[in-house]
Amino acid sequence: MPMIQRKQVIPGDVVAKGNYRYGSYIEKRGEEYVALRVGLAEVGRDEIKLNPFTGPYLPRTDDEVIGKVIDINGFGWVIDINSCFDGFLPASFVFGRDFSPATHDLSSKFRVGDILGTRIESYERSRDPQLSIRGEGYGKISSGEIVKISPTKVPRVIGRRGTMINLISEKTGCDIRVGQNGVIVVDGSPDGIVKAIKAIRLVEEETHAPDLMSKVEAALGGGVVGGN
Amino acid sequence: MMKKNHVVESITKERMVQLLASGKRLDGRALDQPRNLNIETGVIPKANGSARVTLGNTLVLAGVKIATGIPFPDTPDKGILMVNAEILPMSSPYAEAGPPSEDAIELARVTDRGIRESEMVDMTKLGLIPGKSVIAVFVDCNIMNVDGNLFDATSYAVVSALRTAKMNRYVVKDDKAVATDELIPVPVERTPVSVTIARIGDKLVVDPNSEEEASMDMRITITTDDYGNICASQKGEASTISPEQVLQAADTSISVGKAIRAKILEATS
Repeated sequence: MPMIQRKQVIPGDVVAKGNYRYGSYIEKRGEEYVALRVGLAEVGRDEIKLNPFTGPYLPRTDDEVIGKVIDINGFGWVIDINSCFDGFLPASFVFGRDFSPATHDLSSKFRVGDILGTRIESYERSRDPQLSIRGEGYGKISSGEIVKISPTKVPRVIGRRGTMINLISEKTGCDIRVGQNGVIVVDGSPDGIVKAIKAIRLVEEETHAPDLMSKVEAALGGGVVGGN
Repeated sequence: MMKKNHVVESITKERMVQLLASGKRLDGRALDQPRNLNIETGVIPKANGSARVTLGNTLVLAGVKIATGIPFPDTPDKGILMVNAEILPMSSPYAEAGPPSEDAIELARVTDRGIRESEMVDMTKLGLIPGKSVIAVFVDCNIMNVDGNLFDATSYAVVSALRTAKMNRYVVKDDKAVATDELIPVPVERTPVSVTIARIGDKLVVDPNSEEEASMDMRITITTDDYGNICASQKGEASTISPEQVLQAADTSISVGKAIRAKILEATS
């Protein structure tokens, strides 16, 4: 593993000099790579990344997002995916190819206010992101409590290979579903839900604290709660 | 696409209704418990008076400007009072720039009515030269963050700003109103307090937050004065309210209003 250097940057800071592959929120100016956001820059051997501290959710193909139906039109559902763009779930993805607005009733499937687990099917800058519910586990979520966090903090809530979310889930006996867009659905016993939400908020608040894992573990306390 | 209004998640609404049935609310408050109220006055140095009020996450800034003006023909010896409110585009994902929305107009009018009809400011003391010149009091409010119940937050901001406002004393010289350097308070007589109550299902809740506002069937805003008199009220949304519930709402607004008035008086005296 190459050493990764981390540093906090503000817009205009030079993240690195030389020849690197670089991701979003970084601009190359001559030899210099300049940060465009306030965030944590990671400089690897041949790659630099910038994780901004705040920002909207920007859709990416194949992301799992949790959205809310905010409107129904003749051809599909308009979904609020906690982004600057509204997602669109075409009716033909749900009813099949023979969908016709005349014979199918869209509100019989999903109504305004319903929460859906969806996947981003395609997204280009010229069009609103298209969603799909094809596949295991996608579709309407019928119970649970909704927690919204900053989308930039989703990776920390999930943790390396899901360790953080598994820890919270195990300790509270809750099912936790995290959308890449920062919407989280927590389902379980009432006590467990309260604990899980507290833990998620802790991760959100202390995103960059060292050894966050043990902090969360301490906050959750020993033993397993709920589990009814 | 523009988001038109707040859609509450169906699972959240289900829980809200469930909790209400057992006398609880999503944020842990009792049904007749308003959110935390915080009042700061004198936040705008150049205004005659100002207040920044937070009610939960709702944030309102009010400023008072006092000048001379020409009285209305039907009240030649009384001052002018105008309360206006504007919802800033950055305050909520659903607020837009441009001409004020219906909600913003209603907000301004309900707030103005509460202040005016409670006779908070003694308008007869604002007259200078009958028919020609009177003191005009303008209160402008900016809603900086929306989390429900703008009516009450704005009303508290206006009352707090007016209670702490200072104006130049005017004297009449050679048939002209002249400002002196002496600063005097605005002639405030009463402390109107508005209390908004929402009906969700068959339950009445005080000080609805934005989630509750988006799920409510109707709302009623009642303004009371120091003596427990009802001075103004406004009902909103399409649904109805039973006579018993109107009386219940009136009682609640008086009792809740009392506690809030004490807070306003404490913060502004």
